[in-house]
Amino acid sequence: MKKLVGALTAVAVMGAAACGSSTGSDDSGPIKIGAVHPETGALAGVGGLMNDGAAMAVADINAAGGIASLGGRPLELVSGDSQGKADVGRSEAQRLISSGAVALIGAYQSDVTQGVTSVAERARVPLVIDVAIDDQILDQGYRYSFRIQPDASMAGADGARALAAIAEQTGQAVNRVSYIHIEGAYGESAFHAFEKEARNEGISSVQGITYPATNFSDATTVVREAAVSNPDVIAATGYYPDSLLVARAIEQLNLNVKGVYGVANGGFDDSSFPGDAGTAGDGVLNANFHFDGTSERVNDIRARFQEQFGRPMETAAVLSYQAVEVIAAGLEEGTDTNTEALRDAIAALSIEDPLVANGGPIEFDETGQNKNALAIVMQVRDGAIEQVFPEQFATDAIEFPVGTGLETGL
Amino acid sequence: MSVASAATASSESGRTAPRVSPGLAVGLTCVLMLTVIYFFGDQDQALITQAVVSGLLLGGVYALISVGLTLIFGVLGIVNFAQGAMLTMAMYIVYALSTTGLPVYAATIVAVPLMFVFGMIVQSTLLTKLTISGSHEGPLLVTLGLSLLIVNVLLMIFGGRPLSVEVPVEGTVSIFGSVASWPRVLAFIGAAIVAVALKLVLERTPLGLSIRAVASNSEGAKLVGVDVGRVYAFTFGIGAACVAVAGGLMTPFTSLTPSVGEQFTILAFVIVVLGGLGSVIGAVVGGLVIGLVQTVGAIYLPGTGSLILVFAVFILVLFLRPEGLYGVRR
Repeated sequence: MKKLVGALTAVAVMGAAACGSSTGSDDSGPIKIGAVHPETGALAGVGGLMNDGAAMAVADINAAGGIASLGGRPLELVSGDSQGKADVGRSEAQRLISSGAVALIGAYQSDVTQGVTSVAERARVPLVIDVAIDDQILDQGYRYSFRIQPDASMAGADGARALAAIAEQTGQAVNRVSYIHIEGAYGESAFHAFEKEARNEGISSVQGITYPATNFSDATTVVREAAVSNPDVIAATGYYPDSLLVARAIEQLNLNVKGVYGVANGGFDDSSFPGDAGTAGDGVLNANFHFDGTSERVNDIRARFQEQFGRPMETAAVLSYQAVEVIAAGLEEGTDTNTEALRDAIAALSIEDPLVANGGPIEFDETGQNKNALAIVMQVRDGAIEQVFPEQFATDAIEFPVGTGLETGL
Repeated sequence: MSVASAATASSESGRTAPRVSPGLAVGLTCVLMLTVIYFFGDQDQALITQAVVSGLLLGGVYALISVGLTLIFGVLGIVNFAQGAMLTMAMYIVYALSTTGLPVYAATIVAVPLMFVFGMIVQSTLLTKLTISGSHEGPLLVTLGLSLLIVNVLLMIFGGRPLSVEVPVEGTVSIFGSVASWPRVLAFIGAAIVAVALKLVLERTPLGLSIRAVASNSEGAKLVGVDVGRVYAFTFGIGAACVAVAGGLMTPFTSLTPSVGEQFTILAFVIVVLGGLGSVIGAVVGGLVIGLVQTVGAIYLPGTGSLILVFAVFILVLFLRPEGLYGVRR
C-alpha cells in the first residue's frame, strides 16, 4: 500500500511539474485568470458548470474588446481540477499561479477554498471566491481573498429573518423548527447562525439534527427524529443528493408541518430538483444566495449558456461568471497586471448591476466579504424554481403554509 | 456457509468443539440490545422502530453489494477495489436503458447479463494470469485502475450532474407503524432472492461444485479436470452480476453521480470481513448488522458518530472471532 501511495504521489507530482512549466503571461498576450474547481470526483457536475460559466464570462469580455484600459488585451482562462480535495486544490492553485495567472477564482467547497486562499495569500495573487460558504475562510485576516456570495452566518441569519417575515406576512405562527444539517463547517455554521437569529426573531425552539457527509443513503431516520419535537417547519442544509433524500423522506413520512425550508441548501434551488423530487419537491422553500432572476442581463446570460452548453446555468456558474467580471473590473482600474495593484483595485470596487441577488452594489469590506451579499427565498412552484421573497426579487407569490404532500397547520 | 468451508466441511468435521451458531448469537445480541434501547434508551419508540426498519432495509442493500465481493474474494483471492465502480457502472447502464423507455426493473434484468459478461471479460483478460500466479498486489492495482477508468469514462459520457430515473413504483408501506418506501422494500426482497439463489447455485449445481472445488484447492481441482480459468471468469462474472442487481434496485432511490458507488466500497469490505471472507451468509448477516448499527446508532451518535460505531462493532467482532462471523479458521 505504501508503494502504491508513493507511486501515485510521484505521478501526481510529475504531472503537476510538467504542466507548471508553461510560460507565464507577458505584457502583450492574453491575461491569464486561474480557475480551481472540482472537475472530477463527486462534485464534478457543478465544478464543470462553474468552469463553463467562467469560460463564458471570459469569452463575453473578449468579444466586447478585452480589457480596454490595457489596450484591449484579452483574457484567458486556465483551469485546474481540485478533484474536490483540499491538497489537490492547493497544488493546482500553485500551478496556475506559476503558469502566469494574475488572479484566481474558486473553489466551491469550503475546505478546498481554505487551502486555495492560503496559496493566494502567500503568492500575493488576488482570489475571488465564487462559491464557498464557511465563515472561517475570511476570518484569517487574509488580504488577497474576496467573496461575492454571503458567508454561512449571513445566509443562516438571512434565512431566519426571512422565515420570521414570511410567517408574519402569511399570518402563520412558526415557533418550533427542526433543523437537519450535514456534518462539517458548511452545515454547522449555517445552523448556528440560523439558530441565533431565529431566537432574536422569536422562534422559540430550534432543534439541530446532524447527518454524516459520507455514507448517507437513507434519510428516513433523521427526518423521523426531526418530527419527534412536532415542529412547525423542517429546515435543512446540505448538498444535492442528501437534500433530495431528505425531501423524499419528509414526503414519505407525511409529516404535519407547515413547510420545508432550506437554509443555504445546495439542492433545493437546483434546476434538477423539481423534476427529480417530483411531488416531494412541491412548495419546498430555500433561503440561499441566488442569481437575480429579475435581471434582464442575467436572463440573457443564462439563455446563452443553456444554448451553448445544453444545460441550465445554476447559481454557482453565475457566480463564477460574476467572479471573472470582478477581476476584469479590477484590471480595468489597474494600470497593468501587477497583482498588488489588482488586489487594491478589487478591494475598492463597487459593481452596480450584480448578477446575483444582492442588497446593493458588490463592495468588499476589510475582510474581503461582499458586504451587500444576500440570501433570498426560492420556492418550487409548478415544477420550477421561483424567487418568492423579498418582494423586490420576487418572480412569483409565496405559498405558505404549503399544501401538496403535507397537511397544513397544527 | 462459506464457499471454501462447504468444500472442506468433511475434513473439518474432526474439529467438533460444540459452538453456538454465529447467526443465532448475532440475532440474540441484536434483539437484546434493541430491547435495552427500547425500554431504557430514553428515546421516542416510534423513532427507534423507524431506525430499525430503515436499518434492515439499508442492510439488505449493503448485503447485496457485499455478496459479490465476498464471492470474488473467497474463490479468486482478489481484493476487488472496483466493486463500487462496477456498482456505479451498473446503475448508469440501468439509467441509460431507462431513458429508452424501459422501466427500471426491466432495465435491471437486462443489465445483469451485461455486467456478467463484463465481469467475465475483465477476469479473463486482465486478471487470470495474475490470479494464477498468486500475486496479491497485481490484482489489487488492476482493480484500482479499473475503478478509476470506469468512474472517469462515466464522467466523460454522462457528465457529473446528478441524474435520476423515473420510478415505476411510488408510495410507501407501513411496517409496525414506521414507513418504508416501496423501492427500498423491493431492493430488500431482491437482496434476499439473490442471496438464496447464489447459495443454491453454489451448493446444488455442477458449476457451484467446481467453484467450491477451485476455492478450496485450485491445484487439486485442475488435476481432476476442472477448467480453473473458466471458473475464475464465471466467478468474477457472478460477482459483477450481483452488483448489477444491487445497482438496478438502488437506482430508484439514489442520485446518480460517477462516484456514487465509492462510498459503498469501504463498507462492503467491512461487511465481508465481518461476515467472514468468502461467506455468502456472512455477507448477508454482516450487511444487516452494519445497516442496523448505522441507523440505530445515529439516534445516539449523530453524524459520523454512527460510522465510528460501525467500525467499533467491526473491531469488536474481529477481536472475538478473528475469522469473521461465518469465516473458516485457517
